[in-house]
Amino acid sequence: MGKLRGFLEYDRIKEETIAPKERIGNYKEFTIAPKTEELQEQGGRCMDCGVPFCHSGCPLGNLIPDFNDAVYKNQWEKALHILQATNNFPEFTGRLCPAPCEEACVLGITNPPVSIELIEKYIVERGFAEGWIKPQPPTERSGKTIAIVGSGPAGLAAAQQLNRAGHTVTVFERDNKIGGLLRYGIPDFKMEKNVIDRRLEILEAEGIIFKPNVEIGKDISAEALEADFDTILLAAGATIKRNLPIPGSELNGVVQAMDFLPHNNKAVDGQLERNLKYLATDRDVIVIGGGDTGSDCIGTSNRQGAKSVTNFEIMPKPADGRTEENPWPYWPFKLKTTSSHEEGIHREWSILTKEFVGDAQGNVVGLKTVEVRWKKVPGDRPQLIEKEGSEKEWPCDMALLALGFTGPEKSLPEQLSVGFDKRGNVEGVKQYQTNKPHVFAAGDVRRGQSLIVWAISEGREAAHQIDTYLMGVSTLPQKEASGDLVSV
Amino acid sequence: MAKVNGKVFDLKLLGKLMDYSNPYRLTYYFVLLSAILLSVFSTLSPYLLKIVIDDYITPKDYDGLVFFSLLMLLSLILEVVFQFIFIYYANWLGQMIVKDLRVELFQKLIRFKMAYYDTSAVGRLVTRSVSDIETIASIFSQGLFMIIADLLKMGIVVAVMLFVNWKLSLIVFSVLPVILYATRVFQKSMKRAFEDVRKQVADLNTFVQERISGMKIVQLFNREVIEQNTFMGINEKHKKAWLKTVWFNSIFFPVAEISTSVTIGLLVWYGGLNVIAGGSISLGIIFLFIQLSQMLFRPLRQIADKFNTLQMGMVACAHTHNSFKRLKKRSRFGIVIESAEPREPHHFSCLFGYGASAINPYMVNEIIADQVQVENIKGIDADNAIQNFNKAIATGIVKVMNKIGISTLKSYRGAQIFEALGLSEQLVDSYFCNTATRIEGIGLYEIEKEISRRHKKAFDLEGLSGLDLEIGGEYRWRRNGEAHMLNPTTIAKLQQAVNQNNFESYEVYSKMVNEQTEKLMTLRGLFEFSSFDPIPIEEVEPWTEIVKRFKTGAMSLGSISAEAHENLAIAMNRIGGKSNSGEGGEDAQRFQPDNNGNWRNSAIKQVASGRFGVTSHYLSSAKEIQIKMAQGAKPGEGGQLPGPKVNPYIASVRNSTPYVGLISPPPHHDIYSIEDLAQLIFDLKNANREARVNVKLVSEVGVGTIAAGVAKAKADVILISGFDGGTGASPLTSLKHAGLPWELGIAEAQQTLVMNDLRNRIVLECDGQMKTGRDVAIACLLGAEEFGFSTAPLVASGCIMMRACHLNTCPVGIATQDPELRKNFKGKPEHVINFMYFVAEELRAIMGQLGFRSIDEMVGQSQKINMKKAVEHYKAQGIDLSKILYKPEVEAEVKLHNTQKQDHGLENVLDFKIIKAAHPAIYRKEQQHLNFSICNTDRTVGAILSNEISKMHGAPGLPEDTLSLKFTGTAGQSFGAFAAKGLFMKVSGTCNDYFGKGLSGGKLIAQVPEEATFKADENIIIGNVALYGAVTGEAYINGIAGERFCVRNSGATAVVEGIGDHGCEYMTGGIALILGETGRNFAAGMSGGIAYLYSADGIFDEKKFNLEMVELEDLTNQDKETVQGLLQNHSDYTNSSKAAHILNDWPDSSKNFIKVMPTDYKNALAMLAAEEENKLNA
Repeated sequence: MGKLRGFLEYDRIKEETIAPKERIGNYKEFTIAPKTEELQEQGGRCMDCGVPFCHSGCPLGNLIPDFNDAVYKNQWEKALHILQATNNFPEFTGRLCPAPCEEACVLGITNPPVSIELIEKYIVERGFAEGWIKPQPPTERSGKTIAIVGSGPAGLAAAQQLNRAGHTVTVFERDNKIGGLLRYGIPDFKMEKNVIDRRLEILEAEGIIFKPNVEIGKDISAEALEADFDTILLAAGATIKRNLPIPGSELNGVVQAMDFLPHNNKAVDGQLERNLKYLATDRDVIVIGGGDTGSDCIGTSNRQGAKSVTNFEIMPKPADGRTEENPWPYWPFKLKTTSSHEEGIHREWSILTKEFVGDAQGNVVGLKTVEVRWKKVPGDRPQLIEKEGSEKEWPCDMALLALGFTGPEKSLPEQLSVGFDKRGNVEGVKQYQTNKPHVFAAGDVRRGQSLIVWAISEGREAAHQIDTYLMGVSTLPQKEASGDLVSV
Repeated sequence: MAKVNGKVFDLKLLGKLMDYSNPYRLTYYFVLLSAILLSVFSTLSPYLLKIVIDDYITPKDYDGLVFFSLLMLLSLILEVVFQFIFIYYANWLGQMIVKDLRVELFQKLIRFKMAYYDTSAVGRLVTRSVSDIETIASIFSQGLFMIIADLLKMGIVVAVMLFVNWKLSLIVFSVLPVILYATRVFQKSMKRAFEDVRKQVADLNTFVQERISGMKIVQLFNREVIEQNTFMGINEKHKKAWLKTVWFNSIFFPVAEISTSVTIGLLVWYGGLNVIAGGSISLGIIFLFIQLSQMLFRPLRQIADKFNTLQMGMVACAHTHNSFKRLKKRSRFGIVIESAEPREPHHFSCLFGYGASAINPYMVNEIIADQVQVENIKGIDADNAIQNFNKAIATGIVKVMNKIGISTLKSYRGAQIFEALGLSEQLVDSYFCNTATRIEGIGLYEIEKEISRRHKKAFDLEGLSGLDLEIGGEYRWRRNGEAHMLNPTTIAKLQQAVNQNNFESYEVYSKMVNEQTEKLMTLRGLFEFSSFDPIPIEEVEPWTEIVKRFKTGAMSLGSISAEAHENLAIAMNRIGGKSNSGEGGEDAQRFQPDNNGNWRNSAIKQVASGRFGVTSHYLSSAKEIQIKMAQGAKPGEGGQLPGPKVNPYIASVRNSTPYVGLISPPPHHDIYSIEDLAQLIFDLKNANREARVNVKLVSEVGVGTIAAGVAKAKADVILISGFDGGTGASPLTSLKHAGLPWELGIAEAQQTLVMNDLRNRIVLECDGQMKTGRDVAIACLLGAEEFGFSTAPLVASGCIMMRACHLNTCPVGIATQDPELRKNFKGKPEHVINFMYFVAEELRAIMGQLGFRSIDEMVGQSQKINMKKAVEHYKAQGIDLSKILYKPEVEAEVKLHNTQKQDHGLENVLDFKIIKAAHPAIYRKEQQHLNFSICNTDRTVGAILSNEISKMHGAPGLPEDTLSLKFTGTAGQSFGAFAAKGLFMKVSGTCNDYFGKGLSGGKLIAQVPEEATFKADENIIIGNVALYGAVTGEAYINGIAGERFCVRNSGATAVVEGIGDHGCEYMTGGIALILGETGRNFAAGMSGGIAYLYSADGIFDEKKFNLEMVELEDLTNQDKETVQGLLQNHSDYTNSSKAAHILNDWPDSSKNFIKVMPTDYKNALAMLAAEEENKLNA
């Protein structure tokens, strides 16, 4: 399998990109597809390990060595089959996944790991281009009906799986278009929205019913939903944004990232006129929060023509590479430089925002910070200690809060009277099944904010469990957790 | 079954049938007795009648008449009584036997394979099991006993006749031949007729039964008319068959009747005339004879009839009997397997092993054809692709046969060399007769369940996942595939634990491994500890003591990199455990500690069949010497090192040629019996008196007996090696399907050794995928007191189970010799030490719970293990582990662990005498010449001496010929074994086997005594297996050597005047100059070194060579110089007349030599020369 000494012969490549200066002029994706031969070589770097840690490190359990080998042998359709056996939407993960698989890659112990995500993306793109990805409607219908609340990756993955098992699936979305965070949370320069649309066409052709602009609990009551459907899957995400409860947080110009980004996406989609409130043009923008959402805010701000963009992160600057605390093959907390960072950013670490400073009109004009350090306490969480005399004031006329989510909204689960766990997420009593046997939960609503790849995984697993609940047995694939890196 | 048995009456068959009457023997004898009495009484009545007529009617005696009439009445009553008894019990007996027979037959019917019913018609079987059995019953009730009774009757009748009147008797007898002949003819014809009848009855039954039970189908398909016609046909045949019997009957009975009438006529005629003439014949006598002759003929006729009954029974019985012994007919037909299942060499090997003649794996063929069609396989057509597949499978089967030691498929077929693991005895008895299955397990029901589960799964997958089939995961871990004990999490957690010295992380690892094994992955997973008797853990012996019993496995330098190999050695030396050199020799630089305190010396030095680098110096640096009889992970196979991994360094350590692949021969050429093993143990004990000798065995059926033998052969340690594990370089068939778990082997060895009170003499060691303290605890409770780890310490050193060890591409620098990749090795001794520490600590916790303060206390206490009751898997239900957990009941003084040392009897070895005398030479390097007489009980002369030299002077030894020893007499086995450099040992006389074994630089000479009168070059002077595994040195032999000369020679130079078969086998280096005959199979597997052969006429028979790996060439000038020099030496050292003769004729005689050159060796030499040239040019 693979090429015997491929990993010694070929180096890892990344996708080439359009230069930052040029690409920030629009919201398009800016990657340039590698040549087929280059991709084959990348597949040939795979060592076909006896114990493929990548496969184990992937929450979906993608059969990575197998599709790498197929790509190396130029068998793209076979590769697609292998990929789609575990992953409903490789076009999403191929663009957006932080790729824990690559961190677990054995080659990564000594060399740059196999570019698994790149290969994944181009397998599925090839599949769409060649027309290999076709609707696969079920041949028989079971007569069972399922309502899925929420159309993010978890809801869509579950919908596709359950529909394939023959159930009639209706997906409800309160927003005006299907896709959840995929559509309005992810900026177009990371994933253009036609990528979602072409997948939705497939799903619709397979027989899934989509109902956007319907909010369960308002437009349709929870009771009505329970009456109309055999089972309900909650896949509504974890949408409560974390606040920054410090003086001045009510000032104009202090904006939640998750208001800022959807607004921009809708504007790019031509749905609305840009509101000045969400426009970074010619402003000194400070993005608080160093995660992926923060990074998206940076890219968007630069595209809107911000005067300056600064990023604050409360944690210390991570090391460039893996440290001993994060041994291979586990996920390392190391310095990550995204494409948005390349487009222009000033990054600050170990910094805590103490106060927003406003002017007379109630607009934010600056913010006050202090440097911090983290003290390790054995057996407890690290303690935050402010450094005396490190106070500083920063000019700022737009502050974007990218602080993550605290959990799911409570009202719909409460109306359905399902229980919550300690962290405020919907509790799966038996994995994905809530205390109400016919109500299931999957994705962020159950596990809290997480990765797309986890959302798809949850959707698939929940589908298996729902199918079992409805039919007694299920033939939908299910992954086994034994020996699984991500399970322990 | 329509086949007609040639014999009319098969006595053996009858005997077999009579066996069934054994349970009813009393009745049987009773019936016989009543038959005898019946005959007596039935003959008595006519005799009484004769007396009545002659003595009372004719003389008109009334009183007498009444008395005798009453007597006759009594006789008749008795006759009736015995007739009744006889008929009743004969029939009763018949029914009893039939009852038994039918039960047995039905049992057989139930157990016949399904395929049997595909070809046998149901109705026929019904006929056979119902009516044929009935016929058998009639053998007893009517046939057999009647015949016996009738024969008795006839005997008495004849006797009475002769007694009364011999003349009349002759008249009666004169007709007998006619009747006998007629009976015989009748009987033969009837047999044939009856056979036909049987067949026709069966056919009729079959037809009717099947049509009636399938009447719906008959009607559905409108076949009424057709079936009606068929039935008429069958019925017609049936009628004809019966008519034939009627025809024979209708002829025979009249013939018999006529004969009887003729006899009576003759009697009346002759007797009447005699009476009238007043002769000796009375009226009564005539009456008597008429009655008696009828009594004589009736049974005769009946016997024929009865014989027919018997005949039909016989036919039926032969069928049932043959079914009973159906396997014995095996040689008459072939079995062709047509199945979708076979796809791996193991499948094919199993099928052949259980008797298949040919296999059609149609699914694989179809898949290959399909793959060719969809162009996943390119550049070859389907037929050739299948052909290639077949070739590959054949190679795999050959490999399996080679492991077992069987050379031809004919011998392998049906040899059943398997042990079943986890099959129920009932299943094995029915389908795999005589295969051992010690732990019981699943039966047909579970197998069916498994098959249907898989079948269902294959169809379920369709459409719901993009894949047609699951991805598998047998040889490569996959999440939904086959479970593996070492998987991403366990590997990651173990590495995390040892890298960060984090016991918590180890506990996660060990918990996962221990719990995983419970998922039916190992036998030990089915165990649980019981009889807890906790003591404070402080009272348990410290970990530093426990780890001294830990060893790392035999992984050779070559299979793993020097870095990884040395890392293990340093770690084990630091904690007082033992690392193992493996079979690849060891760099002498490692034997002494380094300046930084690290000691890279492997405490255990392995001696394997390849004997790579086994020198006196190597052995002298060992604490333990391990004789590898076999490897648990790949039993029956030697180590194999592919060419690319044999870099110049590896080659130098192994004394072989760079880039020439190395295969250890499967057997040790000096071990063909347990005595040979004892000799090797003795040799090694001589080579290093301080080292323990360890014999490595694999877990297998009968390992207990072997272990007992090895204990008696004076091994100090026995290692029982389990089948798990093996590197990624192991052949896949060995990885999955060869060997047995150590649990079975260690338990059997312990039980046998304890029962024979041998356990105290021996240390028992166990290895094979030991990974946690729990594993060690179980091994210990089953009887092990030392423990080997291989995979786990490698994982601790950074191995990530790439399973590509044979490809030289190990990315973490362990199983590779690639200098670039070796740089990636990040393992540290601390990692290995941490692992050992963790395991010991886990073990201590278990010991504390069970109440053991030391390992010694714990060994063999198998009562502390229970079979887990909680195992719920359907496949685990039938498993019975009691045989493993059995603890022999022995006297209190019989020890369960090692308490004493073996007595090796070294004190009388000749070497001690030599050492005493040779002090100046050995210690001060002064030249010395000493003379000794030698006798064949002086074994292994020179090994202790060499050991002393090696200890003193290391690998270089002494300057050449420093100590010159001359022996006179007959040297025992292993003369000059491991002889070190500086030794010159000359025997004037003869030598036994193993001359120069492992020669390590010394010079050995065997010379015909000067006073000898025979020709040296025509007589054998040294025994078999000379110079096996010789490394360096010279040997000059003034005569013929036995078989297997210079096997695995890797560098010694030898001159000999003729050899037996298999010369220079597996040779990898050195020179052999042979001046005479060479025997068969010369140079088999020879991958290095050169042999020069001489023949007086310059003609060589190519058939005597094994030309697979060598070429025959003419000598170059350089070769000629070499040969001439060697001849000169030979002549000087031995006074050989042959050498002198050839030299006298030089250079003419030089034309009568050829050179045997291994092809690989030649290429490698060319490659090295080119490398050298490049270096010079650069």
